[in-house]
Amino acid sequence: MVDEKRAPAPMDRVWSFFTSVKLAIVTLIVLAATSIFGTIIEQNQPPEKYHQVYEDWAFALLDRLNLFDMYHSSWFLFILVLFTVNLSCCTIDRFPKMLKVVRNPRRKLDENLEKTLSLSDRWKRKGALSDWSGKYADALSSSFAKPAVTEDGGAVHLYSEAGVASRFGVYVVHTSIVIIFVGAILGNVLGFKGYVNIPEGEAVSQVPVRGGSRVQDLGFTLRCNAFSLETYPSGQPKAYKSDLSVIDGGRETLRKTIVVNDPLRYNGIWFYQSSYGQAGGATAQVTVAKRDGTPAGSLSLAANEPVPIAGYGVVRGINYDRNFQGNGPALQVAVEKPGKPAVSFWILQGRPELDRRRDDTLVFSFGGLNSKMYTGLQVAKDPGVNVVWFGCALMVVGLIMAFFLSHQRVWVRLSPGADGRVEVVLAASASRNRLAFEKKFERILTGVKAEGQ
Amino acid sequence: MSNVILFNLTTVLFGVASGLYLGALYAKKDGIAVAGTWVCVLAAVVSTAALGLRWYESYMMGIGRIPVTNLYESLVFFAWAVNLFYLIVERKYRSRTFGAFVMPIAFFTMLFAIKNDSSIQPLVPALQSYWLHAHVITCFIGYAAFAVSAGVALMYLLKARQEAAKATEGVVGLFPGTKTLDDLVYRAIIWGFPFLTAGIITGAAWANYAWGTYWSWDPKETWSLIVWLVYAAFLHARITRGWHGRRAAILSITGFLATVMCYLGVNLVLSGLHSYGGG
Ligand code: HEM
Repeated sequence: MVDEKRAPAPMDRVWSFFTSVKLAIVTLIVLAATSIFGTIIEQNQPPEKYHQVYEDWAFALLDRLNLFDMYHSSWFLFILVLFTVNLSCCTIDRFPKMLKVVRNPRRKLDENLEKTLSLSDRWKRKGALSDWSGKYADALSSSFAKPAVTEDGGAVHLYSEAGVASRFGVYVVHTSIVIIFVGAILGNVLGFKGYVNIPEGEAVSQVPVRGGSRVQDLGFTLRCNAFSLETYPSGQPKAYKSDLSVIDGGRETLRKTIVVNDPLRYNGIWFYQSSYGQAGGATAQVTVAKRDGTPAGSLSLAANEPVPIAGYGVVRGINYDRNFQGNGPALQVAVEKPGKPAVSFWILQGRPELDRRRDDTLVFSFGGLNSKMYTGLQVAKDPGVNVVWFGCALMVVGLIMAFFLSHQRVWVRLSPGADGRVEVVLAASASRNRLAFEKKFERILTGVKAEGQ
Repeated sequence: MSNVILFNLTTVLFGVASGLYLGALYAKKDGIAVAGTWVCVLAAVVSTAALGLRWYESYMMGIGRIPVTNLYESLVFFAWAVNLFYLIVERKYRSRTFGAFVMPIAFFTMLFAIKNDSSIQPLVPALQSYWLHAHVITCFIGYAAFAVSAGVALMYLLKARQEAAKATEGVVGLFPGTKTLDDLVYRAIIWGFPFLTAGIITGAAWANYAWGTYWSWDPKETWSLIVWLVYAAFLHARITRGWHGRRAAILSITGFLATVMCYLGVNLVLSGLHSYGGG
């Protein structure tokens, strides 16, 4: 039957479905449209939080559709896979054809080709055809690119081209997308992300992994030697730094002070300065002396924790003021002596002599508040990240090739005319930016035409 | 601060230029539009000087940073780029009718910008990164190209309707033909797309250096991806039968609406929905 011949085989239908650019457009739009949901519905929150916002039926529906973690849901993944299959099939389908065209360009300017080219000119010359073809080949070389010469039944065809790379740009872009996906998958499968707080002076060798109860062994120990914070005059944080040491095999193998945007890297694991805070409560440093000046010890007072002094009483730090009545930092101390009511008084960090005026056997002086900080570090191992960056760089290069290079082709045909003269046709085309190419065409044309005149 | 005065002057100039271009269309007098061009050139000089001055002033304040780090500055930078792009297009295509569709975008952007805090604030640590600066600049050059494209796409839709009705009168009659408009919609996007791509990549690099994750599907990132996908769809629409012209123009306008959403909507609309915080 005639129809049977026309109807494509099922496999061809599947193939043309997966190679169609229409499918690509639809997939791109579907990806764009569905991605919006995840920006309106907050992702990966605990269920209690969703219940506050959504009715029960809405919660059940959204949960069913995986919209609370949509970018990792199976249906979103399915669209991504479809997209990748589409892209790969399309490339497999077209790349060999493109390569064939590039390797085997139309070197002869025949009538059909001539009709499709809008930039062309023709003229006649007296003399031998072979002389002119040689001259024009040289002229083309110097004004554009060295031509390939084809002889065909008395006529000579010159063909030269430039910017073939532009044809590859699209494929570079498409390949780069697949490379980025591969890098992302590598990172997800082989890497981990975690977060850890390390108090100053302490060390860790394991990190809790984000979004799970797993703990990751680092294979070495990371110690936070010190943490420091710098602020602008307004009090906003300007910079915060952690002085970190890596201890591997019992000795320090690396030491680096990290700041936000400048992480530490060891064995493929990166540590990023992320946050900070106070580790436990602050302690007030207080030194005690007898009235005659002989030292009677030093105390480290945590807030409201009673500390006994033998033969004296119990001391507590009950209050701290950064600027007590305009006199700078001060500590309020409460003293309970056996059998007496508790008394409290302030001691100023900047003016230790004032406490002598108090009628007591011991003199207190305040050495300042000692607050231990912790540093908060993001920890990441992502063996795919360089693959991703490679893909990204390739994508930018590919886009530039595709958009800003142009495949320019120039043909010259010399054929014996009826009047004994040589008939010359020069025609050209450019895959991009035709406006700019018109000017170039004029230059090439003038250059070639002037040759031998 | 004197840079703000210059930016205010720029706003006025953009407004005057928009008025002149619209007036020229209405009165069908090219002379008025020529005046619009000169106002645009003046605005380009003034706004460039203002950006430079703002940079300089930040150094004098001891903060010293490139002026693309908050809402005010990025809006101003966007308007600056739109104006520049527009002037290039006007020169290349030798038609001043585009101005009426593109310059109002720059003007309204500036009006919106001057409602925001224009003081030079110090940078919190996360923002002290060259990647971030590269990110903002590339993104906004991309956005500016998309703005030009969307303005021309609107012209295309008007013109196509008129050509379908075989009419030539009225303001639309002055527009360049649909082929030229279609070509320009596309050309603006082939400038915008690589810049947006570079913008997303530098943003990812910044995130990776600051937090160790180059992509975390936060709303801002996701919206920039949405914009990118819409323009990718546009590029493929152009090479597919049946998706030329009208649908491509609609995609260009959709893309620009998504751009506006990405830039303003995420901070203003979505952050009201829940606790994203500024970003
Ligand atoms: C986000 C993903 C994609 C990006 C960024 C992308 C990028 C591009 C770019 C920049 C071009 C050149 C357009 C032009 O010259 O105006 C192009 C062309 C093309 N793309 Fe894609 N693409 C993507 C996905 C796809 C997919 C999934 C397919 C699957 C069919 C596809 C098939 C094509 C084809 C057939 C061409 C035309 C090639 C030619 O001119 O010979 N693209 N693409």
